[in-house]
Amino acid sequence: MAAIGISAASISKRLGRVQALDGVSLEFAAGTINGLIGPDGAGKTTLMRVLAGLLRPDSGTVSCSADGVATPFSEVRPALAYMPQAASLYPDLSVQEHLDFFRDLYSLPEAVYRPRASELLAITRLEPFRDRRASQLSGGMYKKLGLMCSLLRSPSALLLDEPTNGVDPISRREFWDLLYRLAGQRILVVIATAYMDEAERCSRVHLLDRGRVLSSGEPRQLLAAEGTAGFDEVFIRRARQEAA
Amino acid sequence: MTETGNPRSRAETMKHGFQLVRAKAMARKEVRHILRDPFTLGLALGLPVLLVAFFGIAIDFDVRDIVTVVHDSDRSRPSRQFAEVFAASDYFRVQAPTPGGGILRQLDAETAGAVLIITPGFSRDLRAGKEVRAQFVLDGADNARAVAILGYLPGLLASARRRLVTAAASFPFPIEAEPVHLKTRFLYNHELNSRWFTIPGLSVIVLGLLSILFTALTVAREWENGSMELLLSTPVRPLEIIAGKIAPYLALSCCGMLILYLVARLGFGVPFRGSHILFACVALMFLLASLSQGLLISVLTRQQQLAMQLSMMTGLLPSLLLSGFIFPVESMPVFFQYFTALLPPRWFMAACRGIFLKGAGPLELAQPLFALALLDAVLITAAAKRFKRDLEP
Repeated sequence: MAAIGISAASISKRLGRVQALDGVSLEFAAGTINGLIGPDGAGKTTLMRVLAGLLRPDSGTVSCSADGVATPFSEVRPALAYMPQAASLYPDLSVQEHLDFFRDLYSLPEAVYRPRASELLAITRLEPFRDRRASQLSGGMYKKLGLMCSLLRSPSALLLDEPTNGVDPISRREFWDLLYRLAGQRILVVIATAYMDEAERCSRVHLLDRGRVLSSGEPRQLLAAEGTAGFDEVFIRRARQEAA
Repeated sequence: MTETGNPRSRAETMKHGFQLVRAKAMARKEVRHILRDPFTLGLALGLPVLLVAFFGIAIDFDVRDIVTVVHDSDRSRPSRQFAEVFAASDYFRVQAPTPGGGILRQLDAETAGAVLIITPGFSRDLRAGKEVRAQFVLDGADNARAVAILGYLPGLLASARRRLVTAAASFPFPIEAEPVHLKTRFLYNHELNSRWFTIPGLSVIVLGLLSILFTALTVAREWENGSMELLLSTPVRPLEIIAGKIAPYLALSCCGMLILYLVARLGFGVPFRGSHILFACVALMFLLASLSQGLLISVLTRQQQLAMQLSMMTGLLPSLLLSGFIFPVESMPVFFQYFTALLPPRWFMAACRGIFLKGAGPLELAQPLFALALLDAVLITAAAKRFKRDLEP
């Protein structure tokens, strides 16, 4: 499987009266875990949707590469998995039925699907809940099911929009363990999160605020440059400066 | 690095290749939704029967037992025989006038629906072979009722004439029979039984509306549910989603149609003179058109509330008023006659009557068949074209 990299060049997107993205340029290198960090309304979801091809940028371009070779988005798209922030599963379908449904949408052969599904069920520890309907799952299990659905076809790039939002700390830790395992398989992960502590778990973080990139780089280097101990302080300080 | 900012070319590359696996997956998912929602299932199978039975019994264009006051001033045998003809029919209930007050008093008081006035000289004129006169006074305030009653008169007069002519044979001198004798006969529905006509009509309207509502909610539900965002990020194509959503509901509404057919035939004794295969084909085409109309609404609105309102607006009133169910299309202004061509129920209504009562074949129904096929194609294409592949507002 090809290692996929995505690059966004001065992306701007206006949604209604809000300038959701304002000249965002970011590099997402193959095999890294990229954290999109920012408060609510920073433009994380809009950027995710642009990267997933679900929104058209007003200006700027998204370009992709496979194993370092420029590749059109249409060819990368089948290897791209996207997990929306909002609840997007079917409340009346069970865990197993969701997996079956996405197996068919991705046209996975049974030989690929079976081991993959049992592997995912084992990792997420959802095996005992196969027959439980999505509406009856806890917040963490629901998010894990969403992740399973997007991981079914072994994507090369994974776009996760606030996958741990509203998930208890233990499930969040498990979630991250899962992401590390994936990143080890040269998968590009882009994860948007409002939890600043999660930023430190990423290989690269991109700080977003009001549609602009504040800074981008390795978590420790960024913190050192800002002279703070945590990313929440970065945003709190900015908010104070603006208030003053 | 390549430029991929143009979503149109992206959409083009995604378009080719309809995969049955994906359409089937959509359909299977939709079937699960239906089976797990007893409300939809009950709505689909129970409500049509309830509505058609309820309104079928309620709506009766036939007017019966019209209280008719007979003022017979001639008081002869022929005049009594004339009044008896009315009394013998199901439609009229003859009463003697109550004493006191004017001739039309009971009509004014609405205790009677009609008054028959036979003037003195009725039998004399009859015997003389002259034109015989009687007056029939109707309450014209209720237009529909008056028109229905008027419709019965020619038949009654014909039988009255027959009776009087036979009776006259016993008279010492013969009466001249009328030189011109107009005989009216209603083909296909001899008694003009209005249920034969309302039950299939009601079925068309109820099932048409239900079919629109089924699909109008499905795509909108995916948008409101958030599942559309996930669906759009998968390789599934609009036409696969549309096919997967229409197929289960087509099966469901066909079941509804079958049940209604049985209700009409067994419950209301509506005759069926045509081909069942032809009827199944037309019904399928009509249901497909209604489902596609609902899907188009859903694709355009993306909101269940709005989709529901639009469905009621486009699905109920036009089919009730403009499909030819109550008001004949032929008597509408020319513009509206053409306008009704856009309504699937108008064509199915015509086809239904043709097949049920006249036993019409495919040749007679060429126009409705062609129109429904065209509407199917146009509506499905429109829904697929308008189906969004992204989250742009």
